[in-house]
Amino acid sequence: MTTIRTVDPGRVTGKTRDIFDAVLRRETKVFGATTVSNIWRCQGHVADYLEANWERSRVLMQRGRFTPLQRELVATAVSVANACTY
Amino acid sequence: MAAVKRLGVDEVGVTELMAVTEHARAMSTKAAALLLECLDDEGGLVAAVAGEAGDETVRALLAEVRAVVPPAMGRRDVAALWRILARNPHYLRSTWRKEQVVMRDGALTARDKRRTALGVAMSVRGRYMIEYHAAVLREAGDGEADLLEILGVVDHYTTLNTLSEGMQIESDIVPPA
Repeated sequence: MTTIRTVDPGRVTGKTRDIFDAVLRRETKVFGATTVSNIWRCQGHVADYLEANWERSRVLMQRGRFTPLQRELVATAVSVANACTY
Repeated sequence: MAAVKRLGVDEVGVTELMAVTEHARAMSTKAAALLLECLDDEGGLVAAVAGEAGDETVRALLAEVRAVVPPAMGRRDVAALWRILARNPHYLRSTWRKEQVVMRDGALTARDKRRTALGVAMSVRGRYMIEYHAAVLREAGDGEADLLEILGVVDHYTTLNTLSEGMQIESDIVPPA
């Protein structure tokens, strides 16, 4: 159950909006997403933190030698090992 | 899980991925429980069977392991973990057969499975199996950049897993219709 309100992408401005737009472009391209996912929305309360994690996501999940699927296989396995259901 | 399905992995692929995940986790648990601290460690909680010792069944099984594991890892002898399991031939046989089934080419390639297993070992901080999987990957041609790329995914998902649990968000990543 969600106990912490996530940020509505339709009500943000400035840096948060720019990052949410970039997140949606990425998630639409890779997953066919139509809205910004909750894992990014929940970080939108602190723009600099959102920016820091988005920059790491770009560096670690979008650049390199592996395909998106190869990285996602590792990511899914790690999430299961960490008992994370998200 | 929904994310890999959206990237085109079907039920067979997902089952293979979960098989690698649980097998890699169980292998790391075994190595840690046996107090094997690094890949060269010979002095575990239970003594490893020496070279040609054991009954005929054990010798035959270890010969099978020896034909596959040292060449795959670029090393001279079978990792001690297998020789410790050889104290119980049934345990060695069932675990070795499972390793072969789980880690071979299927819907997912053996290389991608091994990289995934390394990610799991890193995530549970199992030094023995980190060294084991990394040795196999290096022998297959992976280099420093590849190993660091796997760590990067582990690192980033440690962040995201912690955050999603801590913020108690609901999953909104749905599989394709």
